[in-house]
Amino acid sequence: MNTGSIHVRGVSKRFRLERNRPSSLKEALLRTGKKKDVDDFWALRDIDLDIEPGAFFGLIGHNGSGKSTLLRLMANIHAPTTGEIEATGRLSALLELGSGFHPDLTGRENVYLNGAMLGLSRRQMAESMDRIIEFSGIGEFIDEPVKIYSSGMYVRLGFAVAVNVDPEILLVDEVIAVGDEEFQRRCMDHMHQLRDKGTTIVLVSHNAGLMSRLCDRVGWLDHGRLLALGDATEVVDRYLAHVNSAGDNTLTTHD
Amino acid sequence: MPTLSPSVRKSATLIYHFAERESKARYKRSILGWFWSFMNPLTTVIVYSFVFGVVYGAKAPLTSNGNAENFGLYLFTGLVVWSLFTGIVNGSMGWLTSVSDLRKKIYFPTETALLGGAAANAVQTSLEVVVLIAIMLVAANLSWTLIFLPIAVLMALFFALGLGFIAAIYNARYRDIQYLVGILLNVAFFAVPIVYTPTLLDNDDIPDIVRILVEWNPPALFVEIARDATYFLEVPQWNRMLAALAWTVVTFSIGWWYFRDQSMAISEEP
Repeated sequence: MNTGSIHVRGVSKRFRLERNRPSSLKEALLRTGKKKDVDDFWALRDIDLDIEPGAFFGLIGHNGSGKSTLLRLMANIHAPTTGEIEATGRLSALLELGSGFHPDLTGRENVYLNGAMLGLSRRQMAESMDRIIEFSGIGEFIDEPVKIYSSGMYVRLGFAVAVNVDPEILLVDEVIAVGDEEFQRRCMDHMHQLRDKGTTIVLVSHNAGLMSRLCDRVGWLDHGRLLALGDATEVVDRYLAHVNSAGDNTLTTHD
Repeated sequence: MPTLSPSVRKSATLIYHFAERESKARYKRSILGWFWSFMNPLTTVIVYSFVFGVVYGAKAPLTSNGNAENFGLYLFTGLVVWSLFTGIVNGSMGWLTSVSDLRKKIYFPTETALLGGAAANAVQTSLEVVVLIAIMLVAANLSWTLIFLPIAVLMALFFALGLGFIAAIYNARYRDIQYLVGILLNVAFFAVPIVYTPTLLDNDDIPDIVRILVEWNPPALFVEIARDATYFLEVPQWNRMLAALAWTVVTFSIGWWYFRDQSMAISEEP
């Protein structure tokens, strides 16, 4: 059985930051032949990791460490610059606020659209529609355009869709921090249920407590490189030790 | 459907979704809805027949059985193909930009947005074709050559998609492209014998190169084939069919390849 596995092999990701990027064709044509003002930013470097079916995997690291980029690569939103990522199984991703919603469509239409993007037919989505509405708790707003939703409603509907489409791989990018406490608890319960069903889950967060509580294995990213990979509590402890010592340093230098 | 691979089924569902959205958006908040899709070509035909047929006295060539000699019908046949062509080339850019924000947050094959938009335009064209056939039936100007009409329409569709794929990628980078394409299409309209007949060019003042361009440019080939099929009721010349097919296959293949090669970068556009 290999559904629900992710294999990352020698992956690097470069973003080109073009300063003074020509915003129109005229500018671009006027500038032909001149040297481009390009900055290369390597968000990830030589990442190798394997996530086996049924694993609850965590990615930890400070802001800008590349953990969200790695998650986006796993979700096939960006293509890696080098190396390859192989994700087998139906993949459902919850990357940021209202990921994958079209603002002009109603909640219901967006649920169908999301389903289509995950490869589910309209009939299959119709079957889970009631469950999704119930889980998100947004009631009659389901038939309103999502642009009028509050940020909480956005996330709740997004999460409800992501977990109710029966994914084999679920990618979550610390969005669960947004909802109220009751919703957060339901999300946790649901993630546990999914894990018990054998769903592979990848969670990105810098909440060390959450990570060691939920995950089996954790990868620690720092400036685009994988610093440590292994047992959750072990890696999280090393990460915390590092953060604390860095904190001590800044304190002492301030003194 | 067990014969379809999951990715094909996924694409099919998405194409259907985008086609439905495009069709709905077109006549959103309108009471008469699809009625307008008949009204639009109909008024164009009436106005153009009046201006060119009555005011300028342009004569349409006689059909083979002599049943129709109507500038309006001559024009309409050309317009059906032309509006499909421009609708897709122009639309492609908008269809891609309308999904680019979504694509930054979730993966889906972006070409489905363009294929869906093209499908919606094809539905519109089918309605116009129904009107055209109905009129030709009344004029008793129908023959088995009608089978070449869908061939002409399909070639126009895939040729337009090929151009649309390329225009959409460029337009994602520089929004100027949509204005440029709009202007080029306006110019191209007169390079295709729609409001005039090719015989008008049999004039010593007109250089040969212009005649060749007007006769062999791809949209003109599609229009002429459609006209042979429904107006002149003749079997299209084989060399025109071949040229049209070659244009279509080459343009669509290049467009498709280019789009597939570049579309992953859409999510990295600022």
